[in-house]
Amino acid sequence: DEEFNELCFEFGLELDEVTSEKDIISKEKGEGKAEGASETILYKIDVPANRYDLLCLEGLVRGLQVFKERIDLPRYEKIIPAEGEGQRLIITEEVAKFRPHAVAAVLRNITFTKERYDSFIDLQEKLHQNICRRRALVAIGTHDLDTVSGPFTFTAKAPSEIKFKPLNQSQEYTASQIMDLYRTDSHLRHYLHLIENKPLYPVIFDSNGVVVSMPPIINGDHTKISLTTRNVFIECTGTDMTKAKIVLDIIVTMFSEYCEKPFTVEAVEVTYPNGKTHIYPELAYRKENVRPELINKKIGISETPSSLAKLLTRMCLKSQVTGNGNNIEIEIPPTRADIIHACDIVEDAAIAYGYNNIQMTIPKTYTIANQLPLNKLTELLRLDLAAAGFTEALTFALCSQEDIADKLGMDISATKAVHIANPKTAEFQVARTTLLPGLLKTVAANRKMPLPLKLFEISDVVVKDPSKDVGARNYRHLCAIYYNKNPGFEIIHGLLDRVMQLLEVPPNKEGGYMIKATEGSAFFPGRCAEIFAKGQSIGKLGVLHPDVITKFELTMPCSALEINIEPFV
Amino acid sequence: FTEMPTDNFVESSFWNFDALFQPQQHPARDQHDTFFLQDPAEAPELPASYMAKVRKVHSHGGYGSQGYKYVWKVEEARKNLLRTHTTSASARALFHLAHQDKFTPVKYFSIDRVFRNESLDATHLAEFHQVEGVVADRGLTLGHLMGILRQFFTKLGITKLRFKPAYNPYTEPSMEVFSYHEGLKKWVEVGNSGVFRP
Repeated sequence: DEEFNELCFEFGLELDEVTSEKDIISKEKGEGKAEGASETILYKIDVPANRYDLLCLEGLVRGLQVFKERIDLPRYEKIIPAEGEGQRLIITEEVAKFRPHAVAAVLRNITFTKERYDSFIDLQEKLHQNICRRRALVAIGTHDLDTVSGPFTFTAKAPSEIKFKPLNQSQEYTASQIMDLYRTDSHLRHYLHLIENKPLYPVIFDSNGVVVSMPPIINGDHTKISLTTRNVFIECTGTDMTKAKIVLDIIVTMFSEYCEKPFTVEAVEVTYPNGKTHIYPELAYRKENVRPELINKKIGISETPSSLAKLLTRMCLKSQVTGNGNNIEIEIPPTRADIIHACDIVEDAAIAYGYNNIQMTIPKTYTIANQLPLNKLTELLRLDLAAAGFTEALTFALCSQEDIADKLGMDISATKAVHIANPKTAEFQVARTTLLPGLLKTVAANRKMPLPLKLFEISDVVVKDPSKDVGARNYRHLCAIYYNKNPGFEIIHGLLDRVMQLLEVPPNKEGGYMIKATEGSAFFPGRCAEIFAKGQSIGKLGVLHPDVITKFELTMPCSALEINIEPFV
Repeated sequence: FTEMPTDNFVESSFWNFDALFQPQQHPARDQHDTFFLQDPAEAPELPASYMAKVRKVHSHGGYGSQGYKYVWKVEEARKNLLRTHTTSASARALFHLAHQDKFTPVKYFSIDRVFRNESLDATHLAEFHQVEGVVADRGLTLGHLMGILRQFFTKLGITKLRFKPAYNPYTEPSMEVFSYHEGLKKWVEVGNSGVFRP
């Protein structure tokens, strides 16, 4: 286990968990249900999101074995059948309108066992979830070729005209009935919406009119693959051509291992509505040239070109030194669709070398450090507010609509708040426009603490601002509250005076600060003032209105101060 | 290290994802489980010529890359969200650096809040803080990155470090940094890093 963990770590995989079927069931359903379940050890491995070739056991093992230099990377071959003998897939106009791309291939004389079969189905599911974006971009269908006869037609028909026995069902249904049938199926119901409201549904059938599949929903039972299937017809249909090709390449490269002639795939000719034809799978091998110095320089190592070539070959990128030793020619196999730039090759070389073998150095960059002025001001004020006897709080930036509007006696539209489209709970509906609710909620959660409670927070609030490139901006606010048996207006006022003193703003009308009595919906009438400084209103202070206090589930009087400190930077 | 301005929680998908080469349809984008905004739903302004470059690289490739070869949609990039990582601020900072008259090497850092649409539990919050550092210069290597990380963590008192290959859409090579936790007696992930893609 340890060894495997190490290997995964070096290669870039994460061994998430070592468990067994029995463990999994007992964790989910309790010890009793786990009786009799398999105790064979299972490894849960996390694979990076861009490595589709490692999604199945075959690919994973192959990758690791090449990495450990136990086997050579197999060469995947495409066999083009003689004229008239190969399979054909014809795409028609009707379906080209909304699900235009289709690719296909045949795996000849393949031998399935239970494990291989399970792995085959599993890979399709993983690809569906992953690169196919839950079948929206590409849908995969695999069929027993001997049960049908080509050429195959990929077209679209009205739901009532499509009738067949879906996979694992016992009778025939029309397409509309199938939609209803699977509406409650925990697995398939998520894909129904992809074609449900279209006038025509995609369908593939063979030369005898037997329905092979109705992508992206379900295949026909007629072509179901079993352990005795010898020839497999694979079709991938969808809206994204690049991804359809990648998906097909991955499936055939992974499972062609089990064909009679290993690593060979029989090609299929696809005909488009305009008459053009194309042979699939592409199984493209691409050549890239990279200079060895580039690789060495980018990583910080100095390996000879031939050892670099060897490292890359270990990562399934067959390489050789060419030119007069100053060039490496790399052949990128169809399984590595994630290699799209020389830097991807550099990374693979580094992985093969072993990240932890690279010498750590410090760059010789000379720079002069600076703190952002707004943050510097914040840090200074924080220290002094704490020195004044107030305790700092760090609260959530997201809150409910009521928190910033109703509970403060305001209307939500007047707050110019930023609204969230997909909150998981009501607590995260809007981004806060004031720090006050956060502090009041903190007090409510700390009612058992001895009075008085003096809290402050200097942090960002978010407000809509059409003049900014994203339509909203942050303001750095300072908010303090005093919660006690008496409201303590004089204490909060004193704090404001102290802050202004620290900011060296004199208490006068011209160029200084002043306060003016005003009304505030959250404040007690007659106990509220607006603060002006540097020619603008920067906030309010006062005694909070009893309604506000009650709405936040508090019982004592409270005074508060909130100002924008950005003008003072 | 100079502090970067990060005082915008609201970010457009363009700066948070597209400018960082995160493809529009890839699960990697969902992986972050983002908070999308209802209001303001779209960013009114995106830098036009830069956006054209981003569109080209995603759909056709460029700068030595094959690209992702899909149809890049500007509506997707305009979607506003609460940033999922402070790397969007780094992208903006690097953009400004690129427009300077003369290139100067820089070291930037930031420590600020990010948002992820996750259910809360003992180890996950919907909002948390990230520490981010960027070094830009000529001739930087992976070894340099490891060196800086080693120094950074040593200052925090973490000395037993190991690096593991990882994947980020915007960095290649990428590394996850692991440290040995004496209390838990196992290696835990303490950071993520990488060299930005050309």
